[in-house]
Formats: sequence, C-alpha cells, structure tokens
Amino acid sequence: MRICLRKVDLPLSPAPISICRMTIRTARPNRGQHFRPRTHCLNKLESIVVEMQDPKSGVKGSEQKLNVSTIPHVITGKDVIAWITNKMKTTPEEVQAFGTMLVAYGYIYPLQNHKKLVLCNDSSLYRFQTPYFWPTQKWVAEDSDYAIYLAKRNIRKKGMLEAYEQAHYSHLHDWLNHKWDFIVMQATEQYKAGKERNKPDRVVFDCQERAYWIVSRPPVSEHCCVKSNDPNESITTISTNIFYQQAIMRSKVKSSVSLGALTKYVTTYKNHDPFLAPCLPSNPWQTDHDAYWTCNTRIDVPTKMRVERWSFSLFELLSDLRGRDDFKVFLKKEFSGMPPHLMRHLSNLAFWEAAEELKWGTASSMTSKAETIFKTFLAPGAPRWINIDGRTMGLTVKGLDHPHRYVLEAAQTHVFLLMKKDTFFRYLKSPVYKDTQKNALSPAPHNFSPAQLEQNAQNRSLGVHPVIVWQQEEEEKAKAAAASAPVDVKAMMSKIDRKK
Amino acid sequence: MGKDECKTMLDALNKVTACYRHLVIALGSTSDSQNLREELKRTRKKAQELAVANRTKLTSLLKDKSISKDDRAEYERLWVLFSSSMELLEVDMKRSLEIGQDFPIKVPTRHLIQTGMTGSTTTVAARAMSVQNMKYEADSNIDTADLRDLQSEITQMSQMMEEMEMKVQVAPWAVEAKQEAGAELKSNMSVGNSSVGVISICEEEPKEEDGGGGRDAGFASICAVLVFFVIVTVALVLGYLVINMS
Repeated sequence: MRICLRKVDLPLSPAPISICRMTIRTARPNRGQHFRPRTHCLNKLESIVVEMQDPKSGVKGSEQKLNVSTIPHVITGKDVIAWITNKMKTTPEEVQAFGTMLVAYGYIYPLQNHKKLVLCNDSSLYRFQTPYFWPTQKWVAEDSDYAIYLAKRNIRKKGMLEAYEQAHYSHLHDWLNHKWDFIVMQATEQYKAGKERNKPDRVVFDCQERAYWIVSRPPVSEHCCVKSNDPNESITTISTNIFYQQAIMRSKVKSSVSLGALTKYVTTYKNHDPFLAPCLPSNPWQTDHDAYWTCNTRIDVPTKMRVERWSFSLFELLSDLRGRDDFKVFLKKEFSGMPPHLMRHLSNLAFWEAAEELKWGTASSMTSKAETIFKTFLAPGAPRWINIDGRTMGLTVKGLDHPHRYVLEAAQTHVFLLMKKDTFFRYLKSPVYKDTQKNALSPAPHNFSPAQLEQNAQNRSLGVHPVIVWQQEEEEKAKAAAASAPVDVKAMMSKIDRKK
Repeated sequence: MGKDECKTMLDALNKVTACYRHLVIALGSTSDSQNLREELKRTRKKAQELAVANRTKLTSLLKDKSISKDDRAEYERLWVLFSSSMELLEVDMKRSLEIGQDFPIKVPTRHLIQTGMTGSTTTVAARAMSVQNMKYEADSNIDTADLRDLQSEITQMSQMMEEMEMKVQVAPWAVEAKQEAGAELKSNMSVGNSSVGVISICEEEPKEEDGGGGRDAGFASICAVLVFFVIVTVALVLGYLVINMS
C-alpha cells in the first residue's frame, strides 16, 4: 500500500529566510504555507512510544552484534506490528500505516536500509530514537545545525559525502558563510567530544543523528511528495520554483506609492475617526447619550462633519443614505426635463441602487429583481436604458440567465465610474450641495458632570427594535407607491358610487 | 593581547557548548541517570561563566572606537562566533528543560527510551569541565530542584542575549569567514583507526585523505610492532646465551 508521507517540517523555505532568522532562534511560530499544527497529535504519539518501553508489556528488544561490540535495544518490525495490533485492535492495514508513520516521523529508525522509512512486517531491525531527536514543531531543525552535521560527516567520511549531501553542503556554505567559522569549530569540537564515549555508544549516536537528518532533510527519493516531471530535478530546484511562483503572484506596488496613499488616507480621515478626534456632540459609548446616533440618521439637516465626508469620494456619498438623497435631488434639478441622453445620469443612479438592492436582498427575491432590472435598464429599448460598453453588457445579459447576487457587479462598477467622472464633481460645486453645507448643523460638544453621566447611564433605553423600524419603512414605501401609482378608474368609480 | 585572550575563551565556550549538546542528546534515553543531570547542571554553570566573561571582554573591545578597521572586522567575526554559540546553548538549555520535565528520574512509571546507549557520559562532562575525573555529590532530588534553577538560568540567558543585541551593533551577515569549505578536514586530529567502523551493512570507508591525522595512529602501531620485535630479539639472544651457557 503506498502511503503518502508528509514530513513534519518540509524545508520549503529557501535559504535567504534562514539568514533573517539567525539572531532570533527561539520558538517562533511557523507561518509557512505547509505548516499544520500537530502538537496534540505528537504528544499522543510520544505517550505511545513511552508505553512501548515498558519492560513487561512493551516491545521486547534484543541485541545486535557488530564487529567487536554488542548493542542492546534492537527491535524487529514484526514485534512492533504485533504490539500495535495488540494495543490498538484494528485492521492490519491501519497497523501497518501507523507503524510506517512512526518510522517516517522519526520515532523509530531502521538499522538496515536506513534511507527507506517504512516499517516492514518481518525481522528487519529497528531502534528507538532519543527524545532530543523526536519530531517537534517547537524546535525547527535549523540550517546551521544541519551544516554542523554535514561538517562532522565530512570529517568522518574524509570528504566523501553523498551527492545530495554535497549539494546541501555547498549551498549552505554559500548562504551561511558568515557563520562558517563557527560551524567548522563546533563540528570539530562535537566530533572530539563524541569520541570520549565508548565505542557502542558512538555507533548508536551516529545512527541516531543520521536517522534524524534523513527525516528532517530527506534525500531525493521516490517517496518525495512534491511532483516533478523531470526525474533529475532535485528538491532544491523544486522548492526554488515554488518560491519564484509565489513571488510572481505577489503584488508589486512600490512602497513609495503605497505609503503615499496611506498618508493621504490618514490626513483625510484624521478628524473623522472617533478614536483620534472627539466626535460631536459626544461619543455615545463614553457618555451614554445617543444624540450622535440620532443626529446621523436619514434626517433633513445633516451635521457638518457628515457633509464634509461626502466630499471625500463618491463611495462615501452614496454609502450615506442622506448623501444619496442629496445627490438625487441634485440630479433631478440638473437633468430632469433635459434631452434623453442627459437623463442617463438619473438612470445611472437608479441602476446602481437597484444593483445594491440585488446584492443585499434576500435570495428568494433575486430572480424577480433580476427580471425587473433587465426589463427596466438593460433590455434594448428599455425605459431607463443605461449606456455601458458592449462587452460588459454582453457578459451581464449572459449572467442574468442564471442570476446570483453579484451578477451585476461589472456593470455596477462601470456605472459607478461613469457617475464619478461625470457628475460627482459637478455635484460638489452645485448650489444644492452648497446649500446643504450652509445649513448643516454643528452640534455643540456635551460636557457632562459625573452626576449627569450616571443619569445618562440609567436612562439608557433599548432603542427601537429593528423590526419596528423595518415596518415603518415598509409603510412609507407602500404610501409612496400608492401615491405614484396610476389611478385605478374603476376603483375610483366604485368608491364614488359607494359614497353616493 | 586582547584578541588571543578572546580566542582562547571562545574556544573554551565552544568546547563546553559541544559537550553540553552531547549530554542533552542523552537525556531521556537509557543512558540518563542522576549523574547525567548533575553533569548537565555543572556544564551549564561553566558555560554561563564563560559566556559572561566572553561578553564583557568582547563588548569592551567592540566599544572601543579607536581600533583599526582590520581589528574591528576581526572582533566582529569573534562576536558572530560568540553569539552563534550562545544561540546554540540557549536552544539546548530550553530543550533540556522540556525533556527533563518529561522524563523525571524518580518517577517509577515513566520509562526511559531504550535507545541502545547504555554507557555513561562522564568522560564528555570531564572534557567540558576540563578535569580528569568527575566527582558526583548531588542529592536525590536533583531533577526537580535543578529544573527550577534551569528555568531561572534560561531567563537570565535570554535577557543577556537581548542586552547583547541591543548594545552591540554588529551586522552578522557582513562578516566574512576565514575558513573555506572543507576546512574541517584539514584540522589536526586523528581521523584514522579511532573512527567508527561498520554501522550498517553497506558502509565502507574509503581512505582518501590521509592528512596529518592518519599519521598519528599509524605511528603508534609502528611503535608497538618495533617494541614487539625488540622483545622477541632480546628473548632470542637470552635463549641463545642460556643454551650456550649450559
């Protein structure tokens, strides 16, 4: 059964990042793309491995005879499988998979064929890994540690490293060059310190270290998960390809441009932010007085701050319902009674509003709304036909066959841009806006004493229930519709008859 | 001169760091024992003393504005060596705290991992402390008491490193290493017979670079052979004389 082995810390980050990390080595959370937090799972695995050590009920170890020494604590694959079957009581495939995971993650390492990290259900030999080399997501296997290991291996093998090791060695020598003295010194010292132990322990230590680095820096083999068409492509090439692909997808705005935009935004909105400037008359969250909210509803006389905010962008103007009303008043004054090609301004705004209603409306009303919008605005010869370019029109009409919330997004953006270019700045210079500005209120800031604040806190009401607000709006809409609907002659006649 | 002093102290710190790593790797395995915990504690204390000494020396050298450019480059290189050692030491200390907490010695139900290592680490610790023999004098609750000390030492160490980074403005990436690739092979140490033999079935060590290292071990064996022959010759001569006498 082929098992897809995802290594715990696949080194997909290319070398430059290791330079930036070199001074802060502590447990910084890994936010790489392929990182999955597995702390809890690893804790459970560790407790299972510790259970395996039980001299009575754990896995039985035997001795391995080398040239002149015997090394204890060697286990066979089938013993491990038998123990897991006994403990977990599950199917043989699951047991095999679990066992192979233990080997792949580095809790157990094979003594023969050390590069193939699978648990074979036969008499192949394995040994437990020391807790320092257990897989942990808290302590990343650092490049400098790997460099020290490769230098030690270089000493032991007298310069004959394997091909992939040699490639990593040269790569690390380039990227960790500033630390190379340290790496050489530490490697020689660790090698010398290692020789102080007795021979069997030295063998075991070398095996452990080698097994750890085969797990953390896997050699290129067919068990590698990253697909590549070219069999000669090594893992470093694959990871650099991924790195460059991601780099291409990143946004390339110059920081001078983005910082300029940020400062412009901050200077414009500085006085309108309730955290940075005191909001008039008073911040309801601080003083428990809701004058601020009542001032800023859809009332006839807005506040000065609000009116100033409308001048920042068309988006602000249209988002504020009072501003939208003001804009409508302006358009009616300017363009009603004008030739039809100028009436488009009014229909643009109407279309934009209709598209907003579609976006925010209920799902059940979507098809009917889409129908009305099509008939009113988009069909050729429609009463309020909007003039958008052919390509957008084609896309929108095609999309209306299967309408969804954002089917009018492209057309709405186009219309928005038209409004911004044509009429927004005219509005800002118009007498309508200037009147509104003149008549705008500037509420005086409240100055509550602590006793009054207490009073305010006690007078807090629940406010109007949203359902009641909605009902009121519906009633107003119905009244407006009834007022503008064509008079039903028959109904009128019957009413007159009844009165008689 | 200041530079040579620094270098010797850095070598000592390097040695202690390497030995500490060896000791931490043995934690939690079957070669773990009360002695190991004590060895860890003493090595750690020695490392901290060396670290503090190194730091004061290097900061005073680097703060001196009147040194030449070459000298400054050299001191920066030594500083990078020092800070890398400290990072390694800090990580090892934190890991030893974790593993030490996970594998307490006195708790009977928590089994130590059977890694195959059964020997003691006395010689490694002796090398770190630069003594001939280690004397063990700790009492039985070393693991719990020591862990508390270890935690405070780790915080001390982190604070020291933060101070270091703040006070000394050295750009580590600008330092040029003096050693080139493969420099570890040319260092003078015996790489010959004392290296580990067969690990798995397929390993065979080609004797490529004989270097200075191989010579030491070869010399010892030649001496032994010579002595053997001398003794055999003396025995033959004596035997001949005895036969002649009788």
